Parts: sequence; C-alpha cells; structure tokens
Amino acid sequence: MPEKVVRKDESDEGAHPVCLTPEMLGRAASLISSSADIGHVLQTTLEEAILALGANRGFLAIVDHDRGELLVNHTVGHDWDEEKRRMRLKVSEETGRGITSHVAATGKPYRSGNVLKDPYYIPYFDDVRSELAVPMIDSNRRIRGVINVESSLHNAFGQEHEDLLKALAGVAAAAMVLAGHRARERALVEVGKELNAFSDEPISFQKIIDVTAEALRFEDSSLFLIDLNRGVLTLRASRGALAEQIGSLSYRMGEGLTGWVAKEGKPIRTTDPKKDPRWRGLHAEMPPEEVGAFMAVPIVGRDKVLGVLRVMRRRSPYKWLRNEFTQDDEGVMIIIAGQIGIALENRRLVDRLVYAERMAAWGEGSARSVHMVGNQVFGIKGDINELEYLISQGDLKPEAAKELADNLRKGVFRLEEILSEFREFLKADQLTLTQCDLNEVVRQALEQSFPKRSKIELKTTLASDLPKIEADPRKLQRCFSELVENSVSFQQDGGELAVSTGRVDFSLLPGLAAVRSGRYVQVVFEDTGPGVPRDNKQRIFDAFFSTRAKGMGLGLSIVKSIVEAHKGKIYEVGEPERGARFVVLLPHNGG
Amino acid sequence: MYKALVIDDEEQARAAVARRLAREGYEVACAGSQEEGLELIRSAAQPFDVVVTDMVMENPESGLEVLKAAFARDIFSEVIVLTAYGNVANAVECMKRGAFDYVEKNIPGMDVYELLAFKVQQAMDHRRSSVNTLRRLDQAVKQRS
Repeated sequence: MPEKVVRKDESDEGAHPVCLTPEMLGRAASLISSSADIGHVLQTTLEEAILALGANRGFLAIVDHDRGELLVNHTVGHDWDEEKRRMRLKVSEETGRGITSHVAATGKPYRSGNVLKDPYYIPYFDDVRSELAVPMIDSNRRIRGVINVESSLHNAFGQEHEDLLKALAGVAAAAMVLAGHRARERALVEVGKELNAFSDEPISFQKIIDVTAEALRFEDSSLFLIDLNRGVLTLRASRGALAEQIGSLSYRMGEGLTGWVAKEGKPIRTTDPKKDPRWRGLHAEMPPEEVGAFMAVPIVGRDKVLGVLRVMRRRSPYKWLRNEFTQDDEGVMIIIAGQIGIALENRRLVDRLVYAERMAAWGEGSARSVHMVGNQVFGIKGDINELEYLISQGDLKPEAAKELADNLRKGVFRLEEILSEFREFLKADQLTLTQCDLNEVVRQALEQSFPKRSKIELKTTLASDLPKIEADPRKLQRCFSELVENSVSFQQDGGELAVSTGRVDFSLLPGLAAVRSGRYVQVVFEDTGPGVPRDNKQRIFDAFFSTRAKGMGLGLSIVKSIVEAHKGKIYEVGEPERGARFVVLLPHNGG
Repeated sequence: MYKALVIDDEEQARAAVARRLAREGYEVACAGSQEEGLELIRSAAQPFDVVVTDMVMENPESGLEVLKAAFARDIFSEVIVLTAYGNVANAVECMKRGAFDYVEKNIPGMDVYELLAFKVQQAMDHRRSSVNTLRRLDQAVKQRS
C-alpha cells in the first residue's frame, strides 16, 4: 500500500484532511501526457479531486466561449440525474447566479463553508453545506472551465484543499490545450490531404474552410481569391452569414482590412478591428459591433498574393472570457494559407499544361484532317476527270458509269467518316448525364459493335451487384464500342475477347494507390491479340497516334476523353505480345 | 511505250492516277506503300521511266526514299512527287535532290489530273533529251578514241 500523505487543516475545524497519495500524483501527471480522449482525462481528474479532497460530490463544467455559458460535462457522486447533467449555466459575476458562474466570470477560486448563507449559491442538492470551485485557466490565461466540489459538512474545505484543486484544475486546462493542439494537427493533416489529393476535381475550398473552422474554433471563416481579370477579391467559400454570397461578394484590392491583406501580402490580427483605420465594415460575417477578434492572412503563391483567408470571432460580453486569436492561431492559419497557395499554383500550372496540350493537339489535328480530306478530294477529282473524259469521247457505258458512281460514293462517305470522327473528338467531353446501369451500356455496346459472325470468341462476365453510375450512356457506349472494334480489328484471324464489369480490383492495377481513395466500378476488355508494345503504352491514347492505316488515329483518344469527362480513368495493362487489357474505371456514389 | 510507277497509299487516288496515265499510253504499275514501291523499283525487269509518288505514306519523307531508290536503279528515271495540303517543304527538298517536279493534289478549281498528265509528258521529254545527250557524248568519246 502506498503511504498516505495526511495533513490536518489548522484554520478550519470542520475540514476533512487533504488526502493525497503519490499514486494519485502519478496518475494525474501521466494523464496529461497520455493520448487518452480528453473526456476521459477530465473525468479522471475530477474523480481524483473528489478522492483527494474528501468531497462527496462534484462536477466539471466547460466554458462555451461563444455563448458565454458553462456546460456541465462531468459529474461524480450521488443524485445526479439527466436534467442536472444537461444544465447550462450562464456565466455571471452577479450574486444569486451560482458559485460556478461566479468563478467562471471572475477567474478566481471561491470557497464557501456554509452555502446556506452564501449570496452566490443556488441549491441543486439538499445535503450540500460546503462548496469549493476553482477555474481551469490555460497558458493563454483563458478560462476553459470550472471544477466544483461539494461536501455535506460545514467548513469542509480550507486553503490546502483550494491549492490542491487549483493544481488539478491546471492539469485539466493543460490537457484541454493539448487536446486542442492534437485537433489542430489532425485538421492540418486533413487540409493537407485535401489539397494534395490526386484529383481532377476542383479544390474543395468549402471543405477546407469547414475543417479549419471546426478544429480551430474559428466561428466564422471565409476564403477570398483574387480574380485576376477584374482585379478584385472574390468570396469563394464561407462558413457563416456570408455563405449565400459566394461568388458574388467582392472587395477591391486594398479595400478594408481584407483588401489590405491582399494588397500588402501581410497578415492582420486584432481584437478590435473597428478601431483600425483600415476597417470599412463592408462585408462581415456578423454585425460590426459583435466582432470580437479578427484575423486575416494572405494566400501567397510563388511570386504573388492569390487570395486571403479570414476568420472572425464574436465579441464576448464577459471580461474573463477572452476571445482573441493567439500567435499559435496565426501560425496555423499561415500554414493552411501556404498550403492553399501551393495547391492553387499547382492546379493553375496543370490547367495551363492541359490547355497547351490541347492547343497542340488541335493544331496537329487540324493539319492532319486537312491532309486526309485533301487526299480524299484528290481521289474524287480523279473519278470526275475520268467521267468527263468518257463523256467527251461519247463512250460512257453504263457499267463504267456505275463503277465511277460507286467510287465517288465511297469517296464522299469516307470524307463524312473523317469529319464525324473529328467532330466526335471535339465533342467527347460534352456529356448529358443520367443515372445508368453500366451492364446495360456494356451489353448495348457489344450488341452494336461485336460482329454477328466472327472467329473471335466473346466472353462476357457482368457483375450483378453494381451500383448505378452517373453517366452519358450514349457516349459511354461509343467509348466501349471503340474498344471492342479495336480488339476485333487486331484479331482478324480469330482469338478471344473477354469483357467484364465489377467493383474495382486493384490487383489489376499495381502501383495505382492514387485511385484507391475514390469509389469506382470497372469495365475490363481483355483480348488475345498482339497487345500493346511497351513503347507505345503511353502514346496509344494520344490523338492522331495510330498503328492502323484506316482513320485519323482519334479512336483511343476519343475513348480516353469520354472516360475522363466522366471523371474516370483508363489504363492499358496487358502483357505485350500476349494481348491487350484495357481497364476503365468509372466513379460511383452508391454503396 | 514508257513505263510508269504510281505509288500512293490511298487506293482511290492511286487507281485514278494510274487510269489517267494509262489513258496517255503509259504502261502503268501500282504500289500501295513506300515499301511496296521500293521493292518494285528494285525488282522490275526494266527500270521505270517515270515514278509518280505520294510524299507522305509510312512516314513524312516516304517521297524522298522513293526518289533515292529510283535514282539508285536508273539515274535517268524521272520522279514526280504528289503532295496533299501542307507538305510543300518536303516536296521542295525532293526537287533539290533531283525530282523532276512536284504536283499539289489540291489546287482549288483546277483539274490536277490534267496538270499531272502534262508534267509527266514534260518529264518524258526531259528524260529523252537527257538520254540523247548522253548518247551523243558517248559517241563523241568513242570517235575520239
């Protein structure tokens, strides 16, 4: 048994001796550093306090800074019922509003040896005679809560009791600060993940704002980005009263505190923005008189400011409830803004690259189609030349005329094919989305494009439990048909084509961890044709790359454009010379 | 009768050019690719008097390859290069290397087949005069010796 430290309080005869064991101290110390859930830490602290002080009941209330209320979060002892546990106490210095409220409002401990005569006391239990309440104050001098212990004896608590409880309250406050830091860490990781995610989706600014606001207790936060064309700061995401004005609300550069941050590229952190000469009060998440703390940091790219991240807190009516942003808060905001800046720059670079590639493809595409059309027209002109010659000779026999007409028709049809292929290439990413059944689309594509009589054996395996997907069935069908036709044309002498649908099998796609985060269904086209040589694997989806004489070489590039327009992905993962294996991944929202 | 070879990977164009030249009285052979064309040039019993080749087939410089092969077989062969839109630079390169001429496949409002027939005619005149010149030089050399 550990030795007990027992002392008798000299000044208060009724006081129960403080009973503190080294074991208790050890438990208290290890609590803060443990990774236990903060609720557990606070509950244990309260239990230790009750034990050490010889109290018979107690509770720990947390301050809700935004509402100016105390929430009874943890209780120990008899007679607590649900109603008492759900109690919310208004923080107040006034008498008759409860000892706990008074302590939260003043930030000072309070001790009563006879509550029945106490001006602040409100009775909740009949048997209480003594009460001791101490504030939980953190390293930023903010009151995080109050620990309150009670006894049925008069004068149960003395100075020593108060000192010990103050120490434990300090431990609890430190644990809350630590838990806050952990939450920040998680929020930063989450924001980082969101910004670095391999995704073709636009960055979800709203998600970043939400994660930031929740974890960092930024009551209202907004993100503004500089619109380079108009030279203004436009609201792009918001949590708070401005949410309805996303996209329409804007500041001129240098206008108000927010505009100043964008123009100067420096942060602002203040507790009283209204007193700042730059303050205009144009667009705030709350009425100007309610703003208690303001912080805005610039979102900086490589060489220029891209936007502003701004947060506000409501003014607290209680002087002990400090609501300003700390240096730590500013540091976190700058990190988040920095990450947003990098992500924005990356996204802009990628966009520019995609655009440049598209322009290049366009240029090449135009030249190539002009060339092909020119060749066709040349052939047609040859037949016209012959027709005119035969007419001029008075020697046009019906058979010859028919042959020339056939040729001309073929030539014109071919021209139309070229034009329609080109048109499809241009329109591949324009979709009309509906909920559709992937298996049905695959079935129709096969019906349409797999030859009725063929030396190729077709094997179809369609999964029965597929979720519906949001897609353009006509475009998808065109895309699958192209893959089927492709396979058929490469297996003129017979072979096998296996088409299957299912949930994504990542074993088919080694090294593609990037897509694991999403939810996809897959369609696989596997054949026993010549396959795709390793050197060509990267290029087969490029526009105008073709190893077939026929066509413009747009087939697989159209396939890829259609898949990508559906936010899906396509890979060719077959073994060269042993067959091609095209895997199409399409996102779904179902279970 | 002059022997002509037509090389073009577009079947309809190849057939039309061959038919037009046959009408002029040439004995015409056809090839559907650069490779096939080169093979015919090397293996024909008699060298072709004139080769009409498309510029761009397996690669953008197919016409040049045909030109080299034709001269390797017979230095007096005449080569006319056909170009569709956008390949004039390569055709000019062929001219520098000794092609008789190039003909653009698409000249708005013009019957290019008549132009081609005319150019082939000119090429044959050129070939005849080259061969004659050589024969005379040859005779002159023999008389002096």
